[in-house]
Amino acid sequence: MEQPSDDDLVAAVANGDEAACRALMDKHLMRMLALARRMLGNQADAEEVAQEVFIRVWTHADRWEPGKAQFGTWLYRVATNLCLDRLRKKRPTDDIDDMPDLASGDPGPDRQFEQRELAARVEAALQELPERQRAAIVLSHYQGLGNIEAADILGVTVEAVESLLSRARRQLRVSLATEKDELLRSKEISAS
Amino acid sequence: MGLIRMRNEMTIERLREIVEAYGASPARWPEAERPAAEAMLAASAQARGLAEDAARFDALLDMAPVEAPSAALTERLMAARPRAAAPLVRPAPDLRPKAERGFFGGLVEAVWPYGSPAFPAGALAAALVMGVALGSTSGISVLDTRSSVAVTDTEAGEGLIALAMANQAWPEEWMQ
Repeated sequence: MEQPSDDDLVAAVANGDEAACRALMDKHLMRMLALARRMLGNQADAEEVAQEVFIRVWTHADRWEPGKAQFGTWLYRVATNLCLDRLRKKRPTDDIDDMPDLASGDPGPDRQFEQRELAARVEAALQELPERQRAAIVLSHYQGLGNIEAADILGVTVEAVESLLSRARRQLRVSLATEKDELLRSKEISAS
Repeated sequence: MGLIRMRNEMTIERLREIVEAYGASPARWPEAERPAAEAMLAASAQARGLAEDAARFDALLDMAPVEAPSAALTERLMAARPRAAAPLVRPAPDLRPKAERGFFGGLVEAVWPYGSPAFPAGALAAALVMGVALGSTSGISVLDTRSSVAVTDTEAGEGLIALAMANQAWPEEWMQ
């Protein structure tokens, strides 16, 4: 059976259709949450942003004009802007003690612990990126959006997106040079 | 960087720029350059080396954690969702013949033909209580209500609030 389009679901949401609300959340909530988690670096803030995104959907559903814009792109734009707003407001009070520790010692013998440790260091390296570079890599690498859609969401040219991405990956390669070697070693161990 | 290129023009330098910006997956590469870049990947060992290195770095980036939405988040969102407007329900008409409704029933229907007379009767009683209560607390009543009103000021205040709220159905999202 053909799945209803986002436009169909939004129209049903505006009419108070509970199943449509659930379907829209099933389709997009995880993606919005993942975007916010990578932008903000913690789950509590990410859930607040994801909640705000959907409250806006509920509030504006009756004014949504099908075909005028891609609903998914609109969602990404709202989520990205909410994250950037939060980061801008948070910036002056950032405490170095709140930042995740990038070089947090030996991962220990436990492989699961090692994986979690690597994950935390990747997340911390992402948080060290300038906001717009972070947004570009989140949209392109993590959300899998094309350069045109990412440029539309960020309000820049495709050339600017490519430049943001290049700088982001260059900085991440420097920040995560040790982790890349660790990952390679652990993959070699798993393979042998 | 010379980013605007013809569809079929691909060099190893340009492929390097692409993988250094977008990673190893062709799905993320600029659409217009993708066929030429993939063709180069198939033809050049140096191009494949660049992509393999980028793929290892992609795998590291993919380790950044994500968590599923909490049950509390989905519950909050469902509680705040839009609700269908409640339909206006007219009271079912009294289909009994007039004779069966009796003299009082006929009189009530003549005065209030719109359904249950409880609503206007309640509104009248509420207006009466409010008038008495306001009169007794404001001190502008022409009547001496001190002996006839059996409720205290506090009780009267609570009664007023209860009356004011009695017919209010607040949508759930307003209460969030």
